[in-house]
Amino acid sequence: MSFWEKIGQIDRRWIYLLVALAVIFPIVVPVQLPVGITPEARQLYDAVEALPDSCAVMLTFDYYPSTVAETMPMSVAALHHLFRKDIRIVTMTTVPLGGPSIAENVMADMAAQYGKEYGIDYVNLGYKANYTAVLLGMGASIESIYPADNLGRPLSELPLMQEVKNYDDIEFIFVVADNGIIDTWISIVNAQFGTPVGAGVTAVMAPKLYSFVESGQMTGLLGGMRGAAEYEILADQQAMAVMGMCAQSLVHLLIIFLIILGNIAFFTMKAKGRES
Amino acid sequence: METLGIWVAGLSTLALFSFLYKDNPFYRMAEHIFAGLSAGYYFGLIYQAVILQQLVDPIGQHWQMLDAGTGDTTYHTMKIIFLLFAGLLGVMMFSRFFPKLSWISRFPLAFIMGNTAGIYLMSQLHGLVLPQMAATFVNLASPLGIVIFFGVVATLIYFYFSKEHKGVLGVGAKVGIWFIMVSFGAHFGYTVMARISLLIGQLQFILIDWLKIV
Repeated sequence: MSFWEKIGQIDRRWIYLLVALAVIFPIVVPVQLPVGITPEARQLYDAVEALPDSCAVMLTFDYYPSTVAETMPMSVAALHHLFRKDIRIVTMTTVPLGGPSIAENVMADMAAQYGKEYGIDYVNLGYKANYTAVLLGMGASIESIYPADNLGRPLSELPLMQEVKNYDDIEFIFVVADNGIIDTWISIVNAQFGTPVGAGVTAVMAPKLYSFVESGQMTGLLGGMRGAAEYEILADQQAMAVMGMCAQSLVHLLIIFLIILGNIAFFTMKAKGRES
Repeated sequence: METLGIWVAGLSTLALFSFLYKDNPFYRMAEHIFAGLSAGYYFGLIYQAVILQQLVDPIGQHWQMLDAGTGDTTYHTMKIIFLLFAGLLGVMMFSRFFPKLSWISRFPLAFIMGNTAGIYLMSQLHGLVLPQMAATFVNLASPLGIVIFFGVVATLIYFYFSKEHKGVLGVGAKVGIWFIMVSFGAHFGYTVMARISLLIGQLQFILIDWLKIV
């Protein structure tokens, strides 16, 4: 069996092993590679930066635990930026599995870091089923949709929610999502109520959303771990996403190498087949 | 307790990764635990967030108001009737489990379909289709805008099936295929990045949070 034949029939588990090593090595021996800032990430950062101090922003945790590697760093970086600017935050989720508890834990950690007080500086509304009705209903009255917060405290007892009654009182909506909910934020909330929407989404979803940034329906976009790393750099809070980008780049180089190798093997074997 | 949680998560991750070598009992056990836990968690959450918070509690609150004779009696009565009607529609969905009565479930389904169509027709048209069409034309001043415009037109020609793709239509359809292929390539590249990100996240958890090697 020739070298190219062996390459063509290589056990896929060797490739898994190579990919695992390519990920593990940069984590154990950290090497920082430069991460360029895309215009879409810059636009989102600038939009948040331009918000008046002490205004209210809605930050969503519309993601499942399976995608936290991409999405949670975006939420954390956004919270650093927002809390540092003394912006008051209302969080919510349209995802039942994991969304409410991720929001609760991340908000509690970040609020403790910045000395923020629940009910005054931030509120976690939690989860409500039927996201279309939720997003539409909050345009009229948040309290009619969420009579109580994530832990059952009535909104009437939370000072922040006395000032934030509906989308009119929210300056910006920062959606972090791993599913098609972003379409609804754009088509219902941005289109009907005019509240600016910026988003951080998983890489799978990002290509579809660039057209919304171009059309002005979205104010900035973060795509996947790279987007999270960009926001970490912009917010000057480099953490897990920036650390992961070296592994990301190394694996991409490995995949490109394997694709080229596989194609050479394929065409070499095809040419040999023709000759024989 | 947190340490126990991290160990359970770490061992479950390894059990699930073991499938990459070959199918085995550890993988199956982890898979079944995940399915069972998800179903239980989801059931509890929906019971709390929908049945209790959106049906039982509001009915109780309006009933109390009626009982105490406070507020607008007609308003509270109507609210209770609406909530009971919604609850009834929900119960009717369960008739699907009984073949002879399954026709009853068509009523709530028709209600959901009508409702959804009404909401989405306008929001999709005004929120997605028209702004995207407008942006396609508005950006014609820039070179990239011209490329996008021709890409949209060519792709639409490819999806026009009422006339054979020959002549000008054939050229347009071929150009459309190229644009579609570029789009597929971008999606594939992003998907690879997404999947590798998940692997990186999980290995970061194993090496940093669990084994504390780094």
